[in-house]
Amino acid sequence: MENEGKVLVIHPEKCTGCRLCEMVCAVRHDGASNPARSRIRVMKWEMEGMYIPVSCQQCQDAPCMNVCPVGAISRNDELDTVEIDQDKCIGCRTCVAVCPFGAMSFNTTDRKVFKCDLCDGDPQCVRFCEVGCLEYIDAGDVSILKNKEAAAKLMIANQKATML
Amino acid sequence: MALKRKIAYINLSTGEIDIKPIPVDIRKKFIGGRGLDAYLLYNHSKKGCDPLGPDNPLIVSGGFLTATCASATARTHIMAKSPLTGLLGSANMGGFFAPEMAWAGFHHLVIKGKAKNPVYIYLHNGEIEIRDAKNIWGKTTTDSQWAIRDELNDQEVKSMVCGPAGENLVRIANVMTGIKNAGGRSGMGCVMGSKNLKAVAARGTMDINIAYPMDALEYNKRFIDQITSAKVNKTQGTLGTPFIWGATNSWGGIRTRNFQYNQCEYADDIEPERIDEICEETMGPYHMSGCFGCQVHCRAQYKIPSGPYKGVYDEGPEYTSQGAFGGEPDCKSAETILVGNHLVDQYGIDNLEAGSLISWAMELYEEGIITNKDTDGLALEFGNDEALLEMVKRIAFREGKVGNALADGGIAASKIFGKNSFDFLIQVKGMSNLHSDERATPALALNIATASRGSDHLRSRPAIDLYHLPVDVLRKIYSNPIPYDGPLSSEHTEYIGKAWQVFWQENCYMAVDCLGICKYHTTFLGATLPNFEDWTKVLYYNTGLEYTPEEIWDVAERCNMLERLFNLREGLTRDDLEKGDMLNHRYFDEPCKRGAPDVIGKFIDKKKFKKMIDEFYEHKGLDKDGVPKPETLKNLGLANEPSKMI
Amino acid sequence: MAIDVSKQSGAESLRKTRTYGKFRCHNPSCMGRLEPKPGDKLVKCPVCKSEFRVAWIRPDFPRIRGPVWDVNKKLAQEAVAKREGK
Repeated sequence: MENEGKVLVIHPEKCTGCRLCEMVCAVRHDGASNPARSRIRVMKWEMEGMYIPVSCQQCQDAPCMNVCPVGAISRNDELDTVEIDQDKCIGCRTCVAVCPFGAMSFNTTDRKVFKCDLCDGDPQCVRFCEVGCLEYIDAGDVSILKNKEAAAKLMIANQKATML
Repeated sequence: MALKRKIAYINLSTGEIDIKPIPVDIRKKFIGGRGLDAYLLYNHSKKGCDPLGPDNPLIVSGGFLTATCASATARTHIMAKSPLTGLLGSANMGGFFAPEMAWAGFHHLVIKGKAKNPVYIYLHNGEIEIRDAKNIWGKTTTDSQWAIRDELNDQEVKSMVCGPAGENLVRIANVMTGIKNAGGRSGMGCVMGSKNLKAVAARGTMDINIAYPMDALEYNKRFIDQITSAKVNKTQGTLGTPFIWGATNSWGGIRTRNFQYNQCEYADDIEPERIDEICEETMGPYHMSGCFGCQVHCRAQYKIPSGPYKGVYDEGPEYTSQGAFGGEPDCKSAETILVGNHLVDQYGIDNLEAGSLISWAMELYEEGIITNKDTDGLALEFGNDEALLEMVKRIAFREGKVGNALADGGIAASKIFGKNSFDFLIQVKGMSNLHSDERATPALALNIATASRGSDHLRSRPAIDLYHLPVDVLRKIYSNPIPYDGPLSSEHTEYIGKAWQVFWQENCYMAVDCLGICKYHTTFLGATLPNFEDWTKVLYYNTGLEYTPEEIWDVAERCNMLERLFNLREGLTRDDLEKGDMLNHRYFDEPCKRGAPDVIGKFIDKKKFKKMIDEFYEHKGLDKDGVPKPETLKNLGLANEPSKMI
Repeated sequence: MAIDVSKQSGAESLRKTRTYGKFRCHNPSCMGRLEPKPGDKLVKCPVCKSEFRVAWIRPDFPRIRGPVWDVNKKLAQEAVAKREGK
């Protein structure tokens, strides 16, 4: 089978807002519990009961990569991720400024930028998200699954219409 | 690191702030959370202090494991002398406040004094600021929190606040964080109000280093699997806590019409599944939300479906609201429960006290002890939904004779209402009982009678006693970590061995409260959920400290004894109806009228009940009067209290 | 390290006692094991004849939604009458 690469898929409607993903992300990468260190952040609109996790989309034409003045950001073809070479990074934070998702962060303690690396292929946020809000699946499957969800809704609507 | 979090002593009268580390030997002895709070309260308050005076210390804490890599450790604990009972005041809530306080570098706060003007405390990365709250005072619980965020220009700030009820010194006022998380019991919001303290806000980005991060992560996965695979937690994650009310009502363990009946019959419109339908209709199929790091997600989201509050968003209702605004006042309307739940959240009143006291007043109205003259013409009848909701408002704002009286709690109100009104009041130590009816369940009756903060199901309730587990399974649970070879019975109507179960649960729940773990993650509703042995592992991986299960048990026993010592100092005596380990006479005199065949006719046998208390005292090392024996205090390392170590 | 993590705790060892798909009759003097067929909305206890409405948490996980009020009320009244008649 052709390897299309796997992607992190977020289904925001399923998020319960517990932020366990933030905690395990920080512990996995930095050995500390601290949401400020998390590569994934849950944004909340509390009065609407809406919680939306935001993380790096590993863009194909990644603005962070394009803008980096020292070429510290590159594509990892094996995992299909965008990654930072901390040895080259000068901490100018231009990437933080251009990321349309706010997924590139700057750690004020270590004075370094950081972003999601999909835990080298075993994303902990996905592993701990029991409600299935976060998934790590083949890129090609994403739209097929959405097709199916939409089709299921249509089918139910059709059934209801026939019953009327 | 979890051990680096500090304790802060804040004096609101003088503005003095003293920040200190918490020594490891204190951790070993009291762990943290509620246990250490009990030590701090006993050491930092004087006998007979005025609960609403500046000398009453308000203690706020997170659990020892809060914000570590351990699931569902989001609990905030609040302790002070209770303005409702005059004894131990203690409230516990979930949400996101305690972790934020931890990332801000703090673990325990001891707040004394009284501010001249309304203030709030802001904790931020190791620093503490006392800020003017004049623009926040008077606001509802949610508006206050958003106003603080706007003022600090930081949408990630988490606050615990008191609502208008706390400001009005309503003695059943709670402390709230987020939309629904409430530290409800014993009037802790009233203590905040008495100090002119509107809120404690926290924001932190400090590391909590994990002792063995990768091991902690792996073990947490195992811990979560154990928790989420339990049937009770699967049910909670779907229906929320109302499922408990539904299951209990099915056999006849729900207080109805105050205490006249033990089942709310034909309650189809307020059953958990019905409420779940409303949540689904208004919020879609994924309408559950969780506290920090919790995979059980027992809190539903809803919008009020109809009526004057149509479209208003809130969370819950948990089973307490279901009892308070459903069964107890005999109002069988989902809308009423959802509105009642919303009002108590906004005003900052304990839903349990509100529902219980209003239902009591309804019975007094029925008995003619309260009349239209007292209620300003309000027909305070059972089943009158509008009167119920109106009374919530009157209590929060101390309106009218009845509203103002109930705002001071049941015992004080009974003195105003006079006649035999006290006889109808379902309370222990001045605190109202949950909507559960314990007449058919002696173990649960023992639990509410002896709970340290007054009638309470979250101090020592052996809920699994209702599951009729085989004795060998019970033995496996209840003789660990301390061997127990005394009798145990699978029959929940029995009195045998129940004292040990209650004693065991009391220590289990204390340990959970010290660690900051939610009770749905331990031996409360599910027999297969983690306890002492499991916690040694979580503790080790996260903090590096080694405890044995027996040591955790000892800490729990020690801290429970401290709570007892506090209560004894403030006037607890064994059989006193207002300040003792005693139940209302109705438990002994009025048999159950509804429910399953074997529940009808059940009541608590007073002689057997007293014997059960004797046994319970013996397990705890108390004498017949409920006072600790000198050797007990010596064994627990409490012979020299108050020892003022911290 | 004194703590043996590989060892199952008491709580973990009890996991095998869980019984998805079944529940007990809510009549405390009966507590018969009931096992509704997938999708059933009602279940009748073969031992004490109590009837319950069933809700499904998952397709393999039923729970008692509530009693069939009229049936169980009548059964309770009959049982009490019999008991008091003795």
